[in-house]
Amino acid sequence: MSSMSPLTPMNPGNQGNPVGPLGRLSAAIGSGITQVTDNALGPYQSAIIRIGFAATWLLFLLREFPHRHELYGPDGPWNWDLAQQLLVDNDAFTVLIWSKSDVWFEIVYALAMLSSFLLLLGWRTRTASVLFMVGVLSLQNRSVFMGDGGDNVIHLMAIYLVLTRCGQVWSLDARRARRTRERAEREGKEREDRVGPALWCVLGFVLLVATFGGLIPGGFLGGWLTVFWGLWAVHALWWAVKRISSDIKPRVLLDIVANLTHNAALVVIMAEACLIYAAAGWYKIQGTRWQDGTAAYYPLHLDYFSPWSALSDLMTSSGTMVMLVTYGTVIVQVAFPFTLFNRRVKNVLLAVMMTEHAVIAVVLGLPFFSLAMIAADAVFLPTPFLKRLGDWVTRARVRVLGRVLPGRDRTPPGPNDQQRTPLPVDNAEGKTTEQAHVGFTA
Amino acid sequence: MDAYDEVSNGRRGPDEPEGSASTSPAEEREGRADGDDSAAATPQPAPPPQPAQSTRPASGIAALSLPYQITVALVLAVVAVVTCVHVGMVFLHVAPSNTVTKQHGRAVEEWVFPEFEQNWKLFAPNPLQQNIAVEVRAEVHTAAGDVRMTGWYGLSALDGAAIDGNLMPSHTQQNELRRAWDFYNSTHDSENRATTSRGGLSERYLRRIVVLRLDREQAGGADGVIERIQVRSRTTNVRPPDWSEEQVSDKPVVRELPWWSVTDRDRTKASAE
Repeated sequence: MSSMSPLTPMNPGNQGNPVGPLGRLSAAIGSGITQVTDNALGPYQSAIIRIGFAATWLLFLLREFPHRHELYGPDGPWNWDLAQQLLVDNDAFTVLIWSKSDVWFEIVYALAMLSSFLLLLGWRTRTASVLFMVGVLSLQNRSVFMGDGGDNVIHLMAIYLVLTRCGQVWSLDARRARRTRERAEREGKEREDRVGPALWCVLGFVLLVATFGGLIPGGFLGGWLTVFWGLWAVHALWWAVKRISSDIKPRVLLDIVANLTHNAALVVIMAEACLIYAAAGWYKIQGTRWQDGTAAYYPLHLDYFSPWSALSDLMTSSGTMVMLVTYGTVIVQVAFPFTLFNRRVKNVLLAVMMTEHAVIAVVLGLPFFSLAMIAADAVFLPTPFLKRLGDWVTRARVRVLGRVLPGRDRTPPGPNDQQRTPLPVDNAEGKTTEQAHVGFTA
Repeated sequence: MDAYDEVSNGRRGPDEPEGSASTSPAEEREGRADGDDSAAATPQPAPPPQPAQSTRPASGIAALSLPYQITVALVLAVVAVVTCVHVGMVFLHVAPSNTVTKQHGRAVEEWVFPEFEQNWKLFAPNPLQQNIAVEVRAEVHTAAGDVRMTGWYGLSALDGAAIDGNLMPSHTQQNELRRAWDFYNSTHDSENRATTSRGGLSERYLRRIVVLRLDREQAGGADGVIERIQVRSRTTNVRPPDWSEEQVSDKPVVRELPWWSVTDRDRTKASAE
């Protein structure tokens, strides 16, 4: 990899003659602009949060499947009429208010599960992310008093994810793009995509019905109506622009706009994570219990947050330990945003926070809150670590597949098989393993 | 990965993930244009990237003519402004009441509500130090015309028992009653008079939860119908830790609500059957 760094044109401005600090400043700005227009930064980070939030929400929906009627159903304790009275007041978006019927509720719940699964896999990520957001907002806004901090995180991130290019890696989209390109190289022409336009037509029809039914709030300049029709139109625009072969500029422009939006959304996601920690930390400092070092004892002894009371007692048996955990929590939460300026310290704190959330998941009985927070933390994970994680998962999958389907090993390795087992021996040479070579050598 | 460290430390801003620092822009450009992981992820040892030969000609801002570049500049400005405003608004929403929010509170609320609402005072400023147990009893009318009163059902205690030893407590156990009681309390004064327009909603919600739970416990018996309910809360201080010298009262504070007549609107279909 070191051989690559001389090639990296980091500062296009340097090619001129940057004299003095002003020249260097403008060079830096220039390279910054090139960075954010030409790249959708953090492909692995955006992929891991996509997978994290989709998985958290999917697991939550599966876990609550037996309780779904009580939580969000038209005849739950917070029934449809109550929800409607509140929604008139607060204007939150939920498709569950479109109909009081049980069937509609079941459909929405099933679609919410399906969309999280598709987003998790990265199938038609752009569309899946919108459906995921609709699912999250519909269920949560329907019964706001059922949620907790974990729901809140997922709610915000579901909206932000729509604006990120979170399917660049570790997704079915990425695999499909690779295969399409390989086929195009072999056969000399690209095969027409049928699923995309079909999906677009179906969703356009649904949107049309909903619009004329007066179901979606907002007008054509603001509100959800604009958002949905806008996203729908953008897909059509992409499709059209990709067919212009004479001029690539419109396509490059769209690409740049998408990159800018992605990068901005990623900044917002990271800022949001920092705000969560900063707010949680700074508000704690004002509390006497956090000051006298006993705060960590109390949540562990609330009936609602102590599923393992013997464990809670054990963990709080030493006053010094409780004080260390109490102070440590505040210090880590307050410090975290500032540690982003130093990579090493940030990574240490990240590990500490993820561990703390994993502990909270069990001892406070908050698994989905913790999972959501860990997913949010993951946006700050370093790329080398994420790549190693990806390799490890791929290897594990290959090993499992090899065990479950031993016949696979015997088939002669065609190009497709190489994709499935993309583990070149790079590792032996001490390099990072990456999936991609294989596709290109074919 | 040594190259990575050098590069990333030099280039990465605080707000950017370390993401793409390890790959050259040329590779990324190609990879991303296809929405593909392979190119973006792979530093191909040889040959070096040759944009001119690629099926996709050079992309990126450099490939654009002036009108397009102006468009990009406009988009960049809009995106930057919206991002800053959004982060600023969310910050003001999360921050304590201050000079700016006192003057522009409405603008902040209009931006943030309803979908960006958030509250991160997690166990802050002080963690809750009391167990609040909601209990309820009912007046049951039987078909034979008898009227009898049930004992107190500890609904929170039932929640607690369901949470004990549970790796994945349900929101119905952990949040439903707990938050409904919070909601009721925050919308009523100590005389049980509604203090906000949402008072009615919170009372109706609490009634429906109570009736549902009582039916689940079969409080009505085989042939009885729950006609009236009474709710009370018992607030007990968490016992201070053994290693602390603090003393707190262990006497619960009881708050009893008046009897409520159960109407059809308080019954869920499940409980009506």
